Amino acid sequence: MIYLDNAATVRVLDEVLEEHARINRDYFANAGSHHYFGYQAKNLLEEARTSILKDLKLEKTHKVMFNSGATEGNNTVLKGLALKYANRGKRILVGPTEHPSILTTANDVARLYGFEVVKLPVDESGRVTPEILSQYMDKQTLIVSIMAVNNETGAINDLKALSEVVKQYPKCFFHSDATQGIGKVDIDYSGVDLLTFSGHKIGAFKGSGALIYHNRIGFESLHSGGSQEGGFRAGTVDVPSCVCLAKALHLCFVNQKAWGEHVRELNNHLRDQLKDNPLISINSLPNDSPYVLNFSLTKHKASVVVEALSRLGIYVSSIAACSSKGEEPSYVLEAMGKPSWASHNPIRVSFNHETSLEEVDAFVNALEKILQEVRPL
Amino acid sequence: MNFDTLLVHYGELSTKGNNRKVFIQALTHNVRVALKGYEGLEIKGNRDFILVTLNGVDYAPVVSRLQEVSGIQRISLIKRCGKDIEEIKATAVELIKGEKGRTFKLESKRTDKTYPLDSYGISREVADAILDNTDLEVDVHNPDIVMHVSLRQEEATLSCHDFPGSGGYPLGMNGKVTMLLSGGIDSPVAAYSLIRRGLVVDCLHFASPPYTQLAVIDKLKDLLKVLNTYQNDIRLQIVPFTKIQEAIYAHVPEPYCITIMRRMMVRIAERVAKKNHCLAIATGESVGQVASQTLESIITINDVTNFPILRPLCVLDKVSIIETSKKIGTFDISIRPYEDCCTIFKPKKPKTKPRIDEAERYETLFDYEAMIEEAVNNLENIYISGGAEVEGRA
Repeated sequence: MIYLDNAATVRVLDEVLEEHARINRDYFANAGSHHYFGYQAKNLLEEARTSILKDLKLEKTHKVMFNSGATEGNNTVLKGLALKYANRGKRILVGPTEHPSILTTANDVARLYGFEVVKLPVDESGRVTPEILSQYMDKQTLIVSIMAVNNETGAINDLKALSEVVKQYPKCFFHSDATQGIGKVDIDYSGVDLLTFSGHKIGAFKGSGALIYHNRIGFESLHSGGSQEGGFRAGTVDVPSCVCLAKALHLCFVNQKAWGEHVRELNNHLRDQLKDNPLISINSLPNDSPYVLNFSLTKHKASVVVEALSRLGIYVSSIAACSSKGEEPSYVLEAMGKPSWASHNPIRVSFNHETSLEEVDAFVNALEKILQEVRPL
Repeated sequence: MNFDTLLVHYGELSTKGNNRKVFIQALTHNVRVALKGYEGLEIKGNRDFILVTLNGVDYAPVVSRLQEVSGIQRISLIKRCGKDIEEIKATAVELIKGEKGRTFKLESKRTDKTYPLDSYGISREVADAILDNTDLEVDVHNPDIVMHVSLRQEEATLSCHDFPGSGGYPLGMNGKVTMLLSGGIDSPVAAYSLIRRGLVVDCLHFASPPYTQLAVIDKLKDLLKVLNTYQNDIRLQIVPFTKIQEAIYAHVPEPYCITIMRRMMVRIAERVAKKNHCLAIATGESVGQVASQTLESIITINDVTNFPILRPLCVLDKVSIIETSKKIGTFDISIRPYEDCCTIFKPKKPKTKPRIDEAERYETLFDYEAMIEEAVNNLENIYISGGAEVEGRA
């Protein structure tokens, strides 16, 4: 098997897997219990929070709400803030290339709570620039949500520069879905009010994640019940998964440079192999995240090529796993102004630190052969 | 005292004349297979009915399972007892005490014409005993409980509960057909309809990887696992169809591609059917539903064979096909979004009235014989039995 769909999810890191078993075995207590065993579990949980904030360099200003992943986090941000702070303004600005968990949730907030949602344009590289953002900001804007790294193309937004624009409007919150960037790409999070990410993209468990929020912010709770997670998310906390989230994130930060360089090498190598092929048009730019390379097929149907690769045990993505239906074009590429053939037939190759150069070469060979054999459409 | 036996009434047996023995053998066999998982049941078939002695097994799940077996008209929950009228009376009183209701009615019949009491006499005696020993009253028009008493040569039986069967013929008594299975909504319903009429289905699927996904095969397996409820062992054969399909699209004008593709499928199906001793080909086609299913198309497609092609859904509305697929449990699987060989390469304007001479002319443009030969010789076999994939034929 050659797994090149690491932007969809990655294998759990070995150390993390072992840690999970250990915590489950030795510290299975309810972190809310008022006995010493419970305190021990709670301590592990608090250490995990501190570790995450330290890695993000946000320990002075922010807090951690553990949750089930970025989709939940994004729901909490948009709905929880909209319900709590509607008196400040009822306008939300989002990037047009955001994950469906932002775009769909924003539409729900518009429909259910009477908010106005504005999709910002992006430049042809897929970025929301500070210039674009400042044109759309106004005093009614309550939330600006712009992702750190795009999941389809790897385009990186300059969160620090964007946050400077938002700062001129003190009532407005700046949120970033950092799922594809966290622990992978060097990002300055200091200007971000709220940050969401998923554990399963960084070697922790599916169903784990966190929302990092500035300590002056509150939410209307979407999960009512006990007082866990600051009262914002009731329900017994999954201590082992939270500890593992912190551990995986820490491993990513410790190895960020080394892993990043390795992956950059793979990415450049793949780009070199593909760039002169007339059947392929590369969408990702050289300065996008090295973890992703997105290209479109000029003559072939991407889903057919993905199936042909799949039968060889080579796994890549034709569109983001979250949108699945198959025939719809990529709205990310559409927003970047790509032509219809390109947005209908994209392939995303995504790496992680375990991917080898040989695997990339095997992929290239298989792809070239398939493009010769499969009938163009 | 409880009812302790199920009496299975045969379905359309009256129409079968000489085939009676075949019918009974097939149905008894199928009932045995269907009830395999129930320890303790005793199953015995005879000329008029099958008796399933419960031996303490709860009757409800057994009845539900029997309702899925084709060839059964009705299932009665009965109590068997001796023919002495006093014993019948005592049994009837005990049984009716376990029933809910305020009023009752008795219906008696006797096949033993030598019995000292006639049907009316039996009813009267038994009813008197019930009136004397319970608080129930008689209501012959709208009773809460109807008790049937039946006097046969060997014993008497009493029953208060009847359950409808699914009708049709016992599976296997009418032979075997090659069913073309696409994975859509229609073909599993067609397969079910054939099974209900006593036909064993042997399934054939055309796969065109990589234009069609491997996940389609998993979908087909899941569909057949559901159909195992009605036919316990099903074989699925996969035809490697890519080369033929590519050749068609390389040589044939787009509007005729689907017509020629279907003609190739029928040619292959006929060969496979004959090889497997199947007596017909079957499809899920419904007249007019899509371009390849207009009467003109059917004529042109059918022209490549004189082998019978059964189309059990040919005049059904889509709505009723969907209804059946929901009832038998295939709908949710059928709507999984994978491409099959009919949806990929879909021509923009398929010919709705293709002509035989045109189709024949286009087929001279490439040598399909060798490709068909190769496809038929390279079938992949999959066996689905009892709701799971198995290694070889069960």
